[in-house]
Amino acid sequence: MGIDQLYQNLEKMKKLLMTLIILGLGSSALAQTYNTFEPSKTQFMLRGYGHTGFEYLDTGGEQESTFLGATFAPIFLYKHSDKLMFEAELEFELEGNELKTGLEYADVMYVLNKHMTVRAGKFLLPFGTFMERLHPAWINRLPSRPLGFGHDGIAPASDIGVELRGAFDLGGPKMNYAVYVTNGPRIKDGSEEPEEAGMLDFGYYEDVNLAKALGGRIGLLPLSDSSMEWGISAYTTNSTGAEDSDYKEVGAFLWALDLSYVKSITPLQGVVDIKAQYNSSNVDTATYYEIEDGISEPYSFDNQSSSFYTQLSYRPIMSGSDFIKQLEFVGRYSDFNAPEGAEWEEKSTQYAFGLNYWLSWRSVVKLSYQTTKMEGGHDSDGTTRTNGLFVHWAIGF
Amino acid sequence: MASIMVACSSNKKPIATDTATEVAGSEVDFKIEKSGAQLWGEVCNRCHIAPSPADYNDTDWETISLHMRVRANLTEEEITKIETFLKSAN
Ligand code: HEC
Repeated sequence: MGIDQLYQNLEKMKKLLMTLIILGLGSSALAQTYNTFEPSKTQFMLRGYGHTGFEYLDTGGEQESTFLGATFAPIFLYKHSDKLMFEAELEFELEGNELKTGLEYADVMYVLNKHMTVRAGKFLLPFGTFMERLHPAWINRLPSRPLGFGHDGIAPASDIGVELRGAFDLGGPKMNYAVYVTNGPRIKDGSEEPEEAGMLDFGYYEDVNLAKALGGRIGLLPLSDSSMEWGISAYTTNSTGAEDSDYKEVGAFLWALDLSYVKSITPLQGVVDIKAQYNSSNVDTATYYEIEDGISEPYSFDNQSSSFYTQLSYRPIMSGSDFIKQLEFVGRYSDFNAPEGAEWEEKSTQYAFGLNYWLSWRSVVKLSYQTTKMEGGHDSDGTTRTNGLFVHWAIGF
Repeated sequence: MASIMVACSSNKKPIATDTATEVAGSEVDFKIEKSGAQLWGEVCNRCHIAPSPADYNDTDWETISLHMRVRANLTEEEITKIETFLKSAN
């Protein structure tokens, strides 16, 4: 068929279609269809975030540098009605040459009344605020997480269970709460990774015993402009070992304190943002085994860990210059203490400084320098200093 | 952002000013009601930078508002007012 012929056929079809529409619906009905377009009650949104970047690390004189494989985290929001909603986040990340995938959260929520919403599924835990509210790359003001969070961290990030949460207006000040029951962590008994014996594994979602973890957070916003929030969180479980193991009786109690202060300050010509969180973890004492020269030696230690971070950032949004308005200056201190006597005994402190350029409210280029001093740690003895330079580009959508 | 706030609050009923004058004139212990625009400026900046109303359409704002109500543990009053503002100013 020649191009001309094809074109003629298309023209014919178009005319036929137009005639059908006019005859069938009538022009007024057609106009009406467009004007009274109603969104469907069911609403579906695909959003998420991603980041990429470049990192240069110097660990005790050993250097490495790399472009980072892009991380992509699609988020699915499905609103069924004004009260019922489902949220899920998938994570795709290149780790070396392997594509690592994860289900960050997948939960259903229902607004029971003005002050109470129930959530069930796998959700981010309101243990402090960093993991639940601040860790996504387009929200976190620095390319890295503070010490104590993430891999080998002591703060629980997510779990499977049910939760009740809600908020109250106290006539100016506000209060919010969350209480949850989840499968809880598994203790690493050292049989697989002897150097991690006694650590809690919060990433082990399958329940290893009948005991559940119980946790909650209370947040108080004392000022009527909501600029400040204090939070206290607790998390407890009676058992972290398998039902038939020696570690069945090993319980754990964790608590955290968090602070957030965000305020636009005219004399400073910008927004000041302060965040802080302290985490404490206490695991019941138990006996672990160390294999030396083929002989298994029992040992035990006081299983207490803690971590802390505080971050200050400043955005000169009232500056006259369009360029300076988009800048942000960040500083963060964090530390981490793992129990003395454990194979993973560690004392670390870290300082991170950053300069960010905000392309929009959800896309930022972060340049940062970070220096970490680590005493101990399960990979080494003595003191190791790691300096890093990072350029990350994060985007939320 | 500030310019949006000013522009939007001028389109709205000036609730804050009305009640403020009322408070001055009466002995009643009266809570000054905040507008959706003001709440948006205060509340939506606490974790991330507040999005501009123009970034999403009404349908998406409904979904996002429910999402944020739960994730950020906001009061019903806060989120209802902010959602109304976002939908009126996009
Ligand atoms: C307590 C912290 C917090 C507050 C307050 C907050 N947000 Fe969010 N917001 C988040 C987090 C965390 C995410 C990312 C969700 C994710 O990726 O899992 C987010 C994501 C978003 C997104 C991306 C779409 C989505 O729903 O995930 C929009 C838009 C948004 N917030 C708007 C708002 C608005 C409008 C307000 C004010 C009513 C607000 N946020 C207040 C923490 C907060």
